[in-house]
Amino acid sequence: MPIKVLAFAGSPRRNGNSETLLDWMLGAMTADQDVVIEKIALTDANINPCKGCNACEKLNKCVQRDGMDIYHDKIVEADVILLSSPIYCMGIASQPKALIDRAQVFRSRKYVLKLPVVPPERKGKRLGVFVASAGQNWDHVFEAAIPSVKCFYHVIDINDADISYLMINGVDEKGAIEHHPTAKNDAEKLGKTVIAEIRKRLGL
Amino acid sequence: MEIKVVGISGSPHRHGNTETLLDSFLDGAKTAGASVEKVVLRDLDYTPCRGCNACHKTGDCIVQDDAITLFDKILKTDAIAVASPIYSMGITAELKGLIDRGQYLWARKFILKTLFFPNEHIIQHKGVFISTAGLSWDNVFDAAFPAITAFFNGVGFEYYDNIIANNMDAYEGIHRHPTALKEAFEKGQKVVAVLEKLKARIS
Repeated sequence: MPIKVLAFAGSPRRNGNSETLLDWMLGAMTADQDVVIEKIALTDANINPCKGCNACEKLNKCVQRDGMDIYHDKIVEADVILLSSPIYCMGIASQPKALIDRAQVFRSRKYVLKLPVVPPERKGKRLGVFVASAGQNWDHVFEAAIPSVKCFYHVIDINDADISYLMINGVDEKGAIEHHPTAKNDAEKLGKTVIAEIRKRLGL
Repeated sequence: MEIKVVGISGSPHRHGNTETLLDSFLDGAKTAGASVEKVVLRDLDYTPCRGCNACHKTGDCIVQDDAITLFDKILKTDAIAVASPIYSMGITAELKGLIDRGQYLWARKFILKTLFFPNEHIIQHKGVFISTAGLSWDNVFDAAFPAITAFFNGVGFEYYDNIIANNMDAYEGIHRHPTALKEAFEKGQKVVAVLEKLKARIS
């Protein structure tokens, strides 16, 4: 049985610091031959912002037809969901914020319509990873990003305890992450840990 | 001199709770004698920041669209009220998209050092954050403040005040909230009075 890994690269800058971190992690995950990875660059994903119409509270689906039509199903099917973002102006970039806000359909399903997001037998068998980079060196630079990230994972049925974080500050210009003393190792290590854990959860 | 106030509505939802609260603030400012204008981000044509860092070299954004026009307008304004509902514990993607586009001003200030707002300028430019949230949690606005702080810093405005109202889902809308609309109206009046006094003192 394949282990489905879905990775959203949230930066508008391709192959920059946050995406490189994500790629290192995905690279370590592919060492497991059961892992099937799908990576999506949000800058090309055609995901519009949420319109705030609340129609999903009644319809159980979004009224917008765009890239989210595909990613909605992929989010349900994945075992591991990664999201990466650079920190811009003390928050996640607007592209991943749009994805997170469009997960409102899952929130409506879960909390308003009280319907399952994943089938009961898959509950507790999903993991999330948030990967971020920031130019600033401040320790608190990631703090305001985390609540939105948690919202995203909660509504897609991934609990707090099942979210891992890799957040590297002090990297701004493209390629800066390459010179970070621990980032590559940290990313690869976390990638392996997450796959080992999902194997356990899935009973593989 | 007439005080100029610009309200920026970051909600995709027209005339909802947040925009109504912004309208009340702008009405207050207007009755105090200010010229007011409302900009609805949903109606503008702009793209998110590309993170290309070209502005770090030139001080200008390579994308010239409505976001730049709006920043030009903000820089000629005395007070701005930035309004967004809380979605998923943060501001909307529309408003975050705009804020991130201010990177060229950050580059001018901190990399190129061609832009500097003296304190005297900053205290004469007031920024107000207006927000509503469906949830009742006391911390529901916390993750929005840092991006708003970054925005006001970037354009040389003092982060003057918040007008925030949570628990909208339970109130069933801003009109049923006991104090928010009145608070917004009064704060709109007050910011104009404060700015008039400051400008009179300085001139």
